[in-house]
Amino acid sequence: MYRTAAKRLFSAATHSYHGNLHRLRLRPPHSQIFIPYRSFSTSEDQPFPIPQSPVHPETPLVPDSAPSSSPSPSPDEDPRTRGDKYQDEKSRVLHASLTHVIKLGWTEAALISGAKDVGLSPSIVGSLPRKEAALVEFFMDDCLQKLIDRIDSDESLKTLTPSECISKLIRIRLEMQAPYISTWPQALSIQAQPVNVPTSFKQRAMLVDEIWHAAGDNASDIDWYAKRTVLAGIYSTTEIYMLTDTSPDFRDTWAFLDARVKDAFDLKKTIQEAQHLAEAVSAGLGNTFQGFMGKVLRR
Amino acid sequence: MALRTVTRKLGNKFFPLLSSTSHLHSHATSFGFKEVKEEEKAAMVGNVFSNVASNYDLMNDLMSAGLHRLWKDRLVSKLNPFPGMKHLDVAGGTGDVAFRILERINRVKQRGIQRDFEDILEAETKIYVCDINPNMLNVGKQRALQKDGSLVWVEGNAESLGFQNDSMDGYTIAFGIRNVTHIEKVLSEAHRVLKRGGRFLCLELSHVGIPVFKELYDLYSFSVIPSMGEMVAGDRESYQYLVESIRRFPTQEKFASMIADAGFQKVEYENLVGGVVAVHSGVKI
Repeated sequence: MYRTAAKRLFSAATHSYHGNLHRLRLRPPHSQIFIPYRSFSTSEDQPFPIPQSPVHPETPLVPDSAPSSSPSPSPDEDPRTRGDKYQDEKSRVLHASLTHVIKLGWTEAALISGAKDVGLSPSIVGSLPRKEAALVEFFMDDCLQKLIDRIDSDESLKTLTPSECISKLIRIRLEMQAPYISTWPQALSIQAQPVNVPTSFKQRAMLVDEIWHAAGDNASDIDWYAKRTVLAGIYSTTEIYMLTDTSPDFRDTWAFLDARVKDAFDLKKTIQEAQHLAEAVSAGLGNTFQGFMGKVLRR
Repeated sequence: MALRTVTRKLGNKFFPLLSSTSHLHSHATSFGFKEVKEEEKAAMVGNVFSNVASNYDLMNDLMSAGLHRLWKDRLVSKLNPFPGMKHLDVAGGTGDVAFRILERINRVKQRGIQRDFEDILEAETKIYVCDINPNMLNVGKQRALQKDGSLVWVEGNAESLGFQNDSMDGYTIAFGIRNVTHIEKVLSEAHRVLKRGGRFLCLELSHVGIPVFKELYDLYSFSVIPSMGEMVAGDRESYQYLVESIRRFPTQEKFASMIADAGFQKVEYENLVGGVVAVHSGVKI
């Protein structure tokens, strides 16, 4: 279900991740008394509102629909298209900033350089809500989009077994991070900051969902959560392993990854076997107990 | 003449939202709760500020219990200044905002950025402080400790600035836009002088919506402040004008839509102290 939402989000060819827009008119009036701080925005993220996915009602990646108090459109320009212009420029600045990340890190300096490259005043960096986090999130969204494109275009993935498919997809995704590996610890620490955690968590959840979807998963029960959690664990541990890997082409990381995937699938079998054992034991015990009670009562 | 004034007042009461032009016209001809001729308003405001200039900072501290410093800090942190920036602070007579910006830029420089950042530092930081009232500017010049080349004091009118198009990275106006005759002219001038990507920020006393707090605030404004003005600055009239002009200024949402109409994007506002003060911001794309 993330996939359809992701497709619609990215089809407009702009990356939007306004995590912290407060939607003024959806707050009940009495809450204003307790909130000394309120924000309002007339910027529209998408040309059309996108309905929220029923499973995750609080996706910050789903943009607001056009607020009703936006200014009356001037005859020559629709305010919605003007809002898009800001989004476009923002994406251009973030994209240009990525090229400076290797030298300057995931910092404001990289953002300022990016703005200058694009021909905009560096003041625009001040309008980004969580500056360095915006850059990291843009990068994560960009990588996810590339992964989706790769999945769609690569037919050979369908012929692989689930464990091989997962291995390959995680490898493809982590290779996108390889050029930035020297500054990636900084990016991880930015993602771990409490204010940024909701968005980074959502992005990782989408990534994991995407990979499972491509590996052919159709589960819809409690397994869904277990599978995503396990895969998220594999992905995170591999990502962290990669930070200290000095082998050529990250060979050790891929070996580590394969081992973890194998463990996970073995774990699944182990759990199933354990379940069978528990059922057998309890059945046996039950019989013994019944026999014992029968004897006692017959006396 | 009296009849015209009365009908205009009644008209404003019954059809407040009928057209933006009537509202703006009312701002252009309102001097607090009094009605004045458009041509006269600028001169009357000028008199107010010539009178208050010498005690301006002291009165600010007393009226806001020192909070105005925090509000200006918030404005500058939203602006996010960077070394090498060209900034214009309009109606910034006594220099409060300009000093803060300069301080912040120097702090960033001192933190020692990587060597690759040096080429950006080569562009010289310049902060222009523009005010229509020379008395206010003089107070500011005296406060400037060092004869720093970064600060440039300019006498000028916010409605027709003497700066070139696309020359400023940032534009701030703190507690000034309430006093201009034509708000939309100021906004379009701001849009003109800003570069692409430049930001417009406005700090202004605004409208409180919270029920009980609103009453308390009104009481404080109309009873305490003019008396304070009388005792400290010896000028009750000016401070009466001050509190009345706050009430006549457009609401946060209306002002935000005016900023958007001037061509700015990503127009946002943030209420401080429940709406006593609002920081509006916009980006020129």
